[in-house]
Amino acid sequence: MALASQDGPAIETRGLTRVFQSRKGFLFRERTRTEALKGVDLTVERGAIFGLLGPNGAGKTTFTKILSTLLLPTDGTALVLGHDVTKETEWLRPRMGLVLGGERGLYNRISGRDNLRYFADLYGVPLAERERRIREVLERVDLLDAADRRVEEYSRGMKQKLHLARGILHRPEILFLDEPTIGLDPKSARETRKLIRSLVSDGVTIFLTTHYMFEAEELCPKLAILSKGRIVARDTVDNLRALIGGDRTIEVEDYGFEDRELAVLRGLPGVSKIVTEEFGPMLRLTLRIRTGETTVDGVRRSLPGHPELAVRERRTSLEDVYLDLVDEEVR
Amino acid sequence: MSGAVADGYTGRRSTYASLRLAFLLFMADPQWLIPSMIAPVIFGLVSFELFRGYGHYYLTYAILGAGMMSMWGQTLYGSGWATGQDREFGTLEPTIQAPTPYLYVVLGRVLWNVVSGLLGGLIVYLVVVAAAGSPPALPDPLAFVVLFLFVMLTLAAVGVVFAAFYVYTRYAGFIQNVGEFAFYVGTGCMFPVVLLPFWTNPIALVFPPTWALDALRYASIPGYVGFSWGFWPDIAGAIGTTAAYLLLAGSVFHRVERHVLEEGNLDHY
Repeated sequence: MALASQDGPAIETRGLTRVFQSRKGFLFRERTRTEALKGVDLTVERGAIFGLLGPNGAGKTTFTKILSTLLLPTDGTALVLGHDVTKETEWLRPRMGLVLGGERGLYNRISGRDNLRYFADLYGVPLAERERRIREVLERVDLLDAADRRVEEYSRGMKQKLHLARGILHRPEILFLDEPTIGLDPKSARETRKLIRSLVSDGVTIFLTTHYMFEAEELCPKLAILSKGRIVARDTVDNLRALIGGDRTIEVEDYGFEDRELAVLRGLPGVSKIVTEEFGPMLRLTLRIRTGETTVDGVRRSLPGHPELAVRERRTSLEDVYLDLVDEEVR
Repeated sequence: MSGAVADGYTGRRSTYASLRLAFLLFMADPQWLIPSMIAPVIFGLVSFELFRGYGHYYLTYAILGAGMMSMWGQTLYGSGWATGQDREFGTLEPTIQAPTPYLYVVLGRVLWNVVSGLLGGLIVYLVVVAAAGSPPALPDPLAFVVLFLFVMLTLAAVGVVFAAFYVYTRYAGFIQNVGEFAFYVGTGCMFPVVLLPFWTNPIALVFPPTWALDALRYASIPGYVGFSWGFWPDIAGAIGTTAAYLLLAGSVFHRVERHVLEEGNLDHY
């Protein structure tokens, strides 16, 4: 077994590919082939939260399961903490936590505490520390009062907290969180994000998949966008804004615009890109502004034949970045 | 917080944890009362009526028939089914992802099923004795008890291999449901295998309980006519096939885990 490098990246994948093959029918079997990951190269540094964004079916869960040793890749390599996820599972599994979340994955007929006891034993949490450790994580996720109630009586948010408690019970070095706040009410989601941040301050590397943009923007200094099995961008949020054409966005709405007017807008100083979007009878133009020269007034002046014109400026959001990049990939 | 890797699981601790979980789930789910407490009473009464009047040792036949009927389901069926439940609950993924080899988890469940199967056997014994008004004439009660336990262990060995099928495919329950009656009759749970057509005997001998049950009948029923080779070769056959099943299970689990990680079907149910 190779020695773990403390300085190397937390995650390193090269050409990671995963193909799913399934069969339908009994007598006349129809084979379907789905390429969930198409040669993913990704490096994640230690000791921070790294976000993986992507639409449904992009391959986020597949990628997470490969990294957490629950799925084998069809091709390529994946190292976690410097160790091969396909060959060194014995070394890796005690050092990683996985939170897949959702309503499933727990023994509903027994208490939350008994669920944690069982997994503490499977993870080899020292017996002398087990009860103290369980109490500690239950306190941390604010479930101590409900610890001895059956899980089937828990709300969805409480189950999600229990998933998290199980994920950190054995003090992993790296924690994989697959959409940890999906389906949670705003208060529970906020508490979960607070907990995730606190784990990083303890030195845990967190790999988070989500399709909530504000969550990624709030939690992840760096992130990658996965679309149709490929990484389409990887950087800080600010650099991703620059990548799609600037950190300012001006939105213009009216019942229609002529091609001539679009050409005028494209010619304004600092406008790097215009995205058009129809909603009902209206048309929205979204202008990415690379430099500070073009203003709301400047745009209004450039469209004199529109008395009902609505123009507003806002900061380019991660959602803009995401939609631009994923949309380009889809095209 | 990070960097503090757990001091390592042990097989014994993981097996005990799994046994304890099986007990907690059993206690939490009233449906288990039917196979573990109520069915043995019914089996005992039916078997008593079925064998009544068939010679001096009919009570022993009745106890063995009904006892095996209630125990084999608990021990063999329960061991595999518990893994099927893991699929249904979505707990198979976190359990496989834990450092403990899944085989230990299965062993814990099998041990619990042995305990609950014995309870079923005891209920059958008490019901038959109560119905007859007297205990069975056993030449060597201690040998009967030891061999009874031995039969349970041979059933458990088959249960471990069955559990591997449940990890392998979500359709294992269907396969087991189709095969359970053939297995039940074919291994001599209800009546001796030698009463079946000869061509079934070689198939029956592939399963450890066939040998162990024949040995148990030899030890409990004077004049019993089972396999012509007699008691001790039965014991040797039972030990040999049980060891083969356990070795097979060790190897199969490793391969099965690899296979399901390739297929990516751990969360299918």
